[in-house]
Amino acid sequence: MLDWFKSLFWKEEMELTLVGLQYSGKTTFVNVIASGQFTEDMIPTVGFNMRKITKGNVTIKLWDIGGQPRFRTMWERYCRGVNAIIYMVDAANHDTIGAAKTELHNLLDKPQLQGIPVLVLGNKRDLPNALDEKKLIDELNLNAIQDREICCYSISCKKQENIDITLQWLIQHSKSNR
Amino acid sequence: MLGKKDSKKDDESGGSNPFKNLEKASVLQETRTFNETPINAKKCCLILTKILYMINQGEHLAPTEATQAFFAMTKLFQCKDVMLRRMLYLCIKEMANIANDVIIVTSSLTKDMTGKEDIYRGPAIRALCRITDNTMLQSIERYMKQAIVDKSRSVSSAALVSSLHLMKQGPEVVKRWVNEVSEAVNSDNVMVQYHALGLLYQIKKNDKLAITKLVSKFSKSSLRSPYAYCFLIRVAAHQLEEEKDGFDKTLFDFIESCLRHKSDMVIYEAASAIVSLKCTTSKELVSAVGVLQLLCSSPKPSLRYAAVKTLNKISITHPAAVTACNIDLENLITDQNRSIATLAITTLLKTGNESGVDRLMKQIASFMSEISDEFKIVVVDAIQSLCLKFPRKHNVMMSFLASMLREDGGFEYKKAIVNTIIAIIEENPEAKESGLSHLCEFIEDCDFLPLATRVLHLLGREGPRTTTPAKYIRYIYNRVILESAEVRAAAVSALAKFGASSDDLLPSILVLLNRSKLDEDDEVRDRATFFYDILSQNDKALSSAYILNTLNVSPVSLERALLQYNQSVTEKPFDIKVVPTIEVTESHKPSAETSLPKTVKPTDKPAASRQDLYSEQLSAIPEFAHLGPLFKSSAPVDLTEPETEYSVKCVKHTFTNYIVFQFDCLNTLNDQLLEKVVVKMDTADGYEIISYKTCPKLPYNTPGVAYTLVKIPEDPSQVVATFGCNLKFVVKDCDPNTGEPDNEEGYQDEYGLENVEVTVSDHVQKVLKPNFGASWEEVGAENELEDTYALSMPSLEEAIKNIIQFMGLQPCERTERPPEGKNTHVLLMAGIYRGGHDVLVRAKLAYNDGGVAMQLTIRSSDSIVPQVIAQAVG
Repeated sequence: MLDWFKSLFWKEEMELTLVGLQYSGKTTFVNVIASGQFTEDMIPTVGFNMRKITKGNVTIKLWDIGGQPRFRTMWERYCRGVNAIIYMVDAANHDTIGAAKTELHNLLDKPQLQGIPVLVLGNKRDLPNALDEKKLIDELNLNAIQDREICCYSISCKKQENIDITLQWLIQHSKSNR
Repeated sequence: MLGKKDSKKDDESGGSNPFKNLEKASVLQETRTFNETPINAKKCCLILTKILYMINQGEHLAPTEATQAFFAMTKLFQCKDVMLRRMLYLCIKEMANIANDVIIVTSSLTKDMTGKEDIYRGPAIRALCRITDNTMLQSIERYMKQAIVDKSRSVSSAALVSSLHLMKQGPEVVKRWVNEVSEAVNSDNVMVQYHALGLLYQIKKNDKLAITKLVSKFSKSSLRSPYAYCFLIRVAAHQLEEEKDGFDKTLFDFIESCLRHKSDMVIYEAASAIVSLKCTTSKELVSAVGVLQLLCSSPKPSLRYAAVKTLNKISITHPAAVTACNIDLENLITDQNRSIATLAITTLLKTGNESGVDRLMKQIASFMSEISDEFKIVVVDAIQSLCLKFPRKHNVMMSFLASMLREDGGFEYKKAIVNTIIAIIEENPEAKESGLSHLCEFIEDCDFLPLATRVLHLLGREGPRTTTPAKYIRYIYNRVILESAEVRAAAVSALAKFGASSDDLLPSILVLLNRSKLDEDDEVRDRATFFYDILSQNDKALSSAYILNTLNVSPVSLERALLQYNQSVTEKPFDIKVVPTIEVTESHKPSAETSLPKTVKPTDKPAASRQDLYSEQLSAIPEFAHLGPLFKSSAPVDLTEPETEYSVKCVKHTFTNYIVFQFDCLNTLNDQLLEKVVVKMDTADGYEIISYKTCPKLPYNTPGVAYTLVKIPEDPSQVVATFGCNLKFVVKDCDPNTGEPDNEEGYQDEYGLENVEVTVSDHVQKVLKPNFGASWEEVGAENELEDTYALSMPSLEEAIKNIIQFMGLQPCERTERPPEGKNTHVLLMAGIYRGGHDVLVRAKLAYNDGGVAMQLTIRSSDSIVPQVIAQAVG
């Protein structure tokens, strides 16, 4: 009986899409949760990366999409039907926060993506002047989003801070949606 | 993968194609499967195959449809199945130009091309280069440079060949990879070396000096790859052809040395290059032909084929050299490979003597049905050149051609036969009647509209002048009853020509045309009505102008003139005389080498002529915009000796009241920059120099143009003139490498040029009158001028050549070629004089002891023109 339950868990699979402006640390984040190691990857993603990561009894299929302006129109195509959307923000760069807000709201306005949970990650909290969760929620106007579950964490890929709670949130959403 | 599919198809020969009834909508629907998890690789592979099949069948995918499918495809990158991944690459390449935003797979492909799976790397590179546009090229540069020098040969070759394709869109970026490419040329692998050399050539192609260095460098360091050798030979041969002045001995020696290479391929390539070079002398030819001769007896069919094909190609240009191989060619007549046999026979036909013709024709007839259309055309070409060589054999040839016409065959093949028959008819009056009747028979059952209309046009032109014109009318009228609209229209025009040429036939023709006045097709009806009304007037001048000798204007110019007329606000009616007449194409000009069959091939479409191009260029220059329509442009004349410091060519453009001299200048000194280049002219012959247009800058090896505008004298009889010419300019010494002048101050200098002559022929445009007699009557004797001359010419041919050249008129009705062995001849010529006056000339010539007596009769619609024309011989 227990084995049968376990086998069910092992089969658990989820699909996530990771978007956000360029240089916010999307590909770095993928590397951190996949290998547990921080590498300073400076090559921008041209197109997308697909990674399969196994965490405990869950296999996560992760679409990491390039953040340069010419790829932003294509984000939506990869967000359709996923279990959750991760939106990465460079919390230490105050100049791009406005653009990050616009792109996020544009994306979530797409009728095809209605109801899909969103996790906003404020990356680079190790840097001075990085915005904390509260400020991020204000700056990105997350309170305006009422039609879905939305959550915001402040993390650091470099120092590996709050990565564990992020993963926890993600794995929870694999169960709740199935 | 494709090969697999093919063999499958073969297995089920007679069975149905599984992809035959594919529907686009349902296939696109199926691409949703790509989004499923887990991915069913086999199923997805099949769907990708269907997409590929559809695209290759020419199915049109709209950008949104294609993009949708493409993004679904990108999901397949998560699957590790090898077959699926490779299929995916193929699909990406096919959709690269149809779908939008295809660069989304860039990252996935760069990962595959740098990954561990060798089987993915090459295809990923090829796909990557297809989806990369100019803006993205830089982002893959790093990967491409690495891949070019990769250890794996498939990766290196893929990168090199893809770079070759990228050269088309972003040559600057690819040029930066020259170091990596040079390294790849040293590869041990034959293919990599070949591909690298090819790319290196493309990178340096525009720099002549660099190419010469490249050839000499690699011809010394022996390349491993025979393919690379062949390529190098081609480059060297191309280089030799390009060099106008001077002959690079080292290049030729390199090619020559390749005749002794150990690879057959290289030997053949070298021999083929040598025999095709224009500059090859007969001595150098011997060794190359010797090699081809050896290859003729090779056990490998491909080598025999290559050798005999090359011999066939040069049998016209170097007959003596090919004759040396006759014995070997004789052996190939019975070769099992029919293509080789055909080429051998036709080569022998072209080079052999008259007595052997019958035997060879019989031989070839024995397997004519076994060879493909392509080779039948080779046979037809050989027959054409034979007929020119041995006019007396036309009976054998004509019946052979006629039997070929009766057999099945494609358009190109039938076209070649019809062209050949027409060429024979034009060359040999004795063959005319039999040729025409064969063609008549052919159009009775002809599926090819262009050929039927062409034959009908020919019948209209030649038929009325045969002994029994009436017999062709039945054939033509049958077309009016049985064929489609295009053919009916052509047939109606042909009938009208019979009516215009013969009073006896006129009543019957009128009856026939009257019937076509009720044709269901507009064009046919219009033509019939028009011709009927003209012919019922029974006026020779009208018939001549509107039926026998129709408009002779260039369609491109006519269109432009009409457009201009429509845009201008004027009450005047449109004047057809302002439209430049069509240039009589090279092919109709009498040439010394009439034995070449290519010179009689008619041009197929009315392309913009050289004169149309000049006209466009000149009208774009504001100073010349008011001169009116361009009447005639002369051929370029050299005003400098070859290999001097500056090269100047002059083209004379004649307008109604002005002449524009166009000087094409080239500066061949790399340490000089010329500025304010102008050609100063002076003359004592009444012409007035109006203005000069300078060429502001003339850097080394970049052509520049200067113009001089002169006014033609008011006195209409004063047309010929001699102009002294001087090239004036400011010289600035400059650095040969950069072309930058050393200092801003230059000095004035000048350079003497040869004189420019304006002759009668510059005022006359050639016009071909298909029916000279009718035009002669049409113009009438009102302004006739008649005179006799004694010309000191060694032969009739020589006299005719000179008269045509001096007068600049078009010989008509093939009178430029006097019958052999006769001492008297009548030369007929036609043209248009500046201002739009018709000129017709009849020259009766008689040869007599080292001199030619000529009675010249000139008719024109203008009274002064005959005197001017007569000046040309005076």
